[in-house]
Amino acid sequence: MNETALDPVTLEVIWNRLLAVANEQQEALMRTAFSTIVRESQDLACGFFDTRGRMIAQSITGTPGHINAMATSMRHFLAAYPPAALAPGDVLITNDPWMTAGQINDITITTPIFKDGRLVALFANTCHSADIGGRILSAEAREVYEEGLRIPIMKLLDRGEPNRVLLEIVRANVRQPDEVVGDFYAQMASNDTGGRALLELMEEFGLASIDAVAEEIINRSEAAVRARIRELPDGEWQSETWGDGFEEPIVIRCSVRVSGDDIFIDFAGSSPQSKRGINVVLNYTHAYASFAIKAAISPDVPHNEGSFRPVHVSAPPGSILNALDPAPVASRQAVGHFIPSAIFGALAGALPGRLLAPGADPIWLTVWRGENPPFNITVFQVGGTGARPTKDGLSAVGFPSGVAGVPAEVIENLTPIVLRRRELRADSGGPGTWRGGLGQLTEFARRGEGRWSVSPIVDRCRYPAPGLRGGGSGMVGEVYLERGERPNPKSVIDLSPDDVVHLNLPGGGGYGDPFARDPERVRADVVEGYVTPEAAAREYGVVVRYTGDPKSMVRLAEEWVIDEAETAERRKLKSKK
Amino acid sequence: MYRVGIDIGGTFTDLLLVADDGSSIIEKTLTTPADPGAAVEAALSAALSERSLGGRGMLIHGTTLVTNALIERKGAPTALLTTAGFRDALEIGREHRYELYDLDLELPQPLIPRHLRFDVPERVAADGSVLAPLDEDYVRRLAAELWSKGIRAIAVSYLNSFRNPVHEQRTRALIAEVAPEVRVSLSSEVAPQIGEFQRASTTAANVYVQERIAAYLNGLEKRLERCGFAGSFFVMLASGGIATVETAARFPVRLLESGPAAGALNAARMSSLAGYPDVLSFDMGGTTAKLCVIEKGRPLKAREFEVDRRYRFRRGSGLPIRVPVIDMIEIGAGGGSIARVDAMGLLKVGSESAEADPGPACYGRGGKEPTVTDADLVLGYLDANYFLGGKMRLDVAAARRALSDLARRLGLTVEKTAWGIHQIVNENMANAARAHLNERGKNPQRMPLYAFGGGGPVHGYRVAEILRLPGLIAPFGAGVGSTFGLLVAPLAFDFARSAYQRLDEMDWKLANSLLDDMAGEGRAILQGAGLSPGEISYERTAEMRYVGQGHEVSVPLPGGELAPKQLPALTAAFEDAYRALYGRSVPDVPIEVIHWRVVASGPPPKLNFSPPVAARAGTALKGRRPAYFPEEGGYIDALVYDRYALKPGDRLAGPAIVEERESTLVIGARGRARVDHALNVIVEFADE
Repeated sequence: MNETALDPVTLEVIWNRLLAVANEQQEALMRTAFSTIVRESQDLACGFFDTRGRMIAQSITGTPGHINAMATSMRHFLAAYPPAALAPGDVLITNDPWMTAGQINDITITTPIFKDGRLVALFANTCHSADIGGRILSAEAREVYEEGLRIPIMKLLDRGEPNRVLLEIVRANVRQPDEVVGDFYAQMASNDTGGRALLELMEEFGLASIDAVAEEIINRSEAAVRARIRELPDGEWQSETWGDGFEEPIVIRCSVRVSGDDIFIDFAGSSPQSKRGINVVLNYTHAYASFAIKAAISPDVPHNEGSFRPVHVSAPPGSILNALDPAPVASRQAVGHFIPSAIFGALAGALPGRLLAPGADPIWLTVWRGENPPFNITVFQVGGTGARPTKDGLSAVGFPSGVAGVPAEVIENLTPIVLRRRELRADSGGPGTWRGGLGQLTEFARRGEGRWSVSPIVDRCRYPAPGLRGGGSGMVGEVYLERGERPNPKSVIDLSPDDVVHLNLPGGGGYGDPFARDPERVRADVVEGYVTPEAAAREYGVVVRYTGDPKSMVRLAEEWVIDEAETAERRKLKSKK
Repeated sequence: MYRVGIDIGGTFTDLLLVADDGSSIIEKTLTTPADPGAAVEAALSAALSERSLGGRGMLIHGTTLVTNALIERKGAPTALLTTAGFRDALEIGREHRYELYDLDLELPQPLIPRHLRFDVPERVAADGSVLAPLDEDYVRRLAAELWSKGIRAIAVSYLNSFRNPVHEQRTRALIAEVAPEVRVSLSSEVAPQIGEFQRASTTAANVYVQERIAAYLNGLEKRLERCGFAGSFFVMLASGGIATVETAARFPVRLLESGPAAGALNAARMSSLAGYPDVLSFDMGGTTAKLCVIEKGRPLKAREFEVDRRYRFRRGSGLPIRVPVIDMIEIGAGGGSIARVDAMGLLKVGSESAEADPGPACYGRGGKEPTVTDADLVLGYLDANYFLGGKMRLDVAAARRALSDLARRLGLTVEKTAWGIHQIVNENMANAARAHLNERGKNPQRMPLYAFGGGGPVHGYRVAEILRLPGLIAPFGAGVGSTFGLLVAPLAFDFARSAYQRLDEMDWKLANSLLDDMAGEGRAILQGAGLSPGEISYERTAEMRYVGQGHEVSVPLPGGELAPKQLPALTAAFEDAYRALYGRSVPDVPIEVIHWRVVASGPPPKLNFSPPVAARAGTALKGRRPAYFPEEGGYIDALVYDRYALKPGDRLAGPAIVEERESTLVIGARGRARVDHALNVIVEFADE
């Protein structure tokens, strides 16, 4: 393709087609995948790369940690297998945490695509595998070797021939061989689907290579992000974020420096790497840092090599955000999901009134395993998001993760688990002019006799989501057994058949002074039970009374009234203090 | 017997009456939003007074009332009774951000607020066994109190009720004891499928709109009597079937999107008559375009729909409604779609629209932003003096002004910018169509585009070209399309039941009883509508997948009782369908059935409808005007034809423009067109 052909219209036409190719790739993956983690929770990423390994396009949904980490992984794939070492029909695989998404369960599969015998692109996707051997997914390991089978970068298919040795080793090492290998096939089919679509597109536009188009898109994306950064004032801002850690709390110290059209994000001063599996590899740190910057300043610019360039991320080697091999990393999201909040905390200095308060942040992941009949299922749950400068936070919605929940009926159809409760948690949203999103109250039991266990990887049980600009904290999370025990929420808990496990998810932080919240909004929250009347009076200074029969089960909105006098009194007292 | 279809649209209420002898009457009257039945009555009175029609009539009605009631939140205050601990399923939803990078994201508000959602002590397990009995006293007290506080609608959605509805049914009986006039919808009847959120959402929507719809339909029945209509009255469903007023009032949520469904049915019927049973129907209007795959003369169906989307075109941003629905995609691409330059310096079109007000710049009603219609005008595809048959003059200078700023920012001429807009909106529609086809495993190579709506014929040629379709069909007079669709719909009702079962461990008795139950219900509904048992046919399918997967593949089932000996045939049928979708089947993994479906339908209506005849004698060639055909090097003096003077057998070659009141057909240089007996213009692509 010659230079003049790349006018803004032609480029847009081809670019749109490329995005469609990535979405076609993802659609195929979601529809053929076996594990509920991929198909229900969308814990996946798809995209493709030019022949130099630069990410061109990614699919629209998925998980930020995967999408951006996959982008970095391609360099490692190409270092191991340079184009000359690749042939049509080859498929590469790895789950090396330091090369990909920072967790040994995340399998990345890459398929080189050829046109007329020449490499034209690489299609890749990353999926959270149902199992990878080793310990049940938890934070308890002390070395990555305990966390499962590590597959170095190698060929899964060699010129179309399956690597039977690898497949047999995998099957022998994992608890659900059909699901795990089934997902390998789904991942390959997904890349094939994308590759086919790309070749059709190249045919139609008469392109021998997509490198020139890629170059143009990458450069324009970089320019667009740089333009946004230039709009920010130069300066440096800091934040400090605390997480529960495994045995000891961890701290993330974040400094954001804006200088011209570059942003430097540094995590010096953060905790050293942990002895347990909550460590984050730099790839993953980078992934969530670039996610945060995109969401904050350039949501409309596509995420690719170019838009990564102006964002510089560093963390001291050996720290919890740049852990070194062979540190255990299986539960890295329990720390990594704090990164966007940490960055927003600092970046708020450059973007006052634009960013949200911290929310529940790390996703709650529980792996349930048991007998009679045998089962093993991973459940994702989410708390509340932080309040926004002009809106309440969202209840039971994940941020920064983009995964989705699994319906109770699906869990119960696949396992003997019985969910006893899944409801919003009153008063868990941090009070504020804008309230934080609510967490959830959930309870898990089982039917029948038989041993079972849960491995929770959860956070914000000690350190709540703080509020912003005078907003209050969200409620902390809780993990306990109905019989009273409160085990370490990051260790495997053995259960007896009649145990009931309570998982109460944290709420998001509030934004702004709660005493400045519109009393009508407080009343509405009381009507719906998002906030109890006691908390309304205590946290918001708004006294809401139920005027109906105290025994009634049905309490209509109009039966709740604000006690104006007492509210004025309470709010006045506060302003005097 | 004559048939009359009445469709209430946003602006007009359309009526089409076809008599026994094939003659027809068309009425068009302004829609009366405050009292939609008034326009129906007006149109019908006018039609019936035009001439005397012997015998009984059959009236089929399509309405957007349900959709509007849900979007505008104009339903009855409704309570939800759920399994204790799960009253927030409706609000917790999918626990998912449908848009990753938007920090201002909003989620749809549930139809039933939390203070009207109640925890009922009861529990049924996934296998249908009862874990905890229903607290009957609680239900009685709650129902009495709801009644006393003026709540007249209750949705009941208990966990696993799709497996065992006993507690839901008992709950309805208990409510009836204390509050007999309350409307109750059970999730096990409205949407008996797995997924507590989607089932509750559908059930809530059903009972939320029920009173409004029932009152409307009953009022309409009285109005029909008043204008002297004697005969039967049916309502169009989202699935493309029709049902009696009684059934429609029981399952009003099935009426969603019946307007577009009728449009797709019309496309299916007309294209089949023209000899093309497989087409991609393409309806492009002012703000959106709708696409639907028609196969063997029938539109494809889907089992879920979303209403009231926060992000208009983003999946996951609306309320899920699990009902059988014609499988259509809607794209933010229409004549009013606005063009702009994005952060990357690239040209984007839509999904923001100038809507009807102020409309495109060329309407001269104050619109300043460049739109698709402005581009089409500058390209010469539209005639400024013959828009809507000359009823509205378009302002070319205003269109050029709107485009010039964009052109400057792109570094292109106004003409190149206009072509860019035209091209990009076509690409957007083609991309969405391609994704839709791929997801359904459909190969469009033998599927021409059936292009209608105001913008369909203007853009159809290029969309077909991008998708490499064999050609396009432009029907005569696209205006009455969906009204005609009402007349060709059969009496039909769709059922679905969920029951997870491995194929190799199938409980055949359960499978047969589910299928028989659904067929029985279908028979009852259709006999109630006046059909005899011999006229009813049943189409049965199973939705199957490999154990552990999350998406199902529809597999047709043989008639009669299912038995173990059919196992190999069922396995093979699934594998064939799977391979058609994904290329390869998966060896050694067991197969399971998730949903069972039955469609009970009556015979397709026999409609004797005379094709239109050319209205105007003389030559069809109206003249020439400059229009942009890039394959010819830019603007050329294109031939312009009068659609009303084209006769069956006429042939024309592109580049050419064919004008009619409702739209303009643009034929590119490779187009070879002929006019068929029904005055369709059928365009095929000549080889380059």
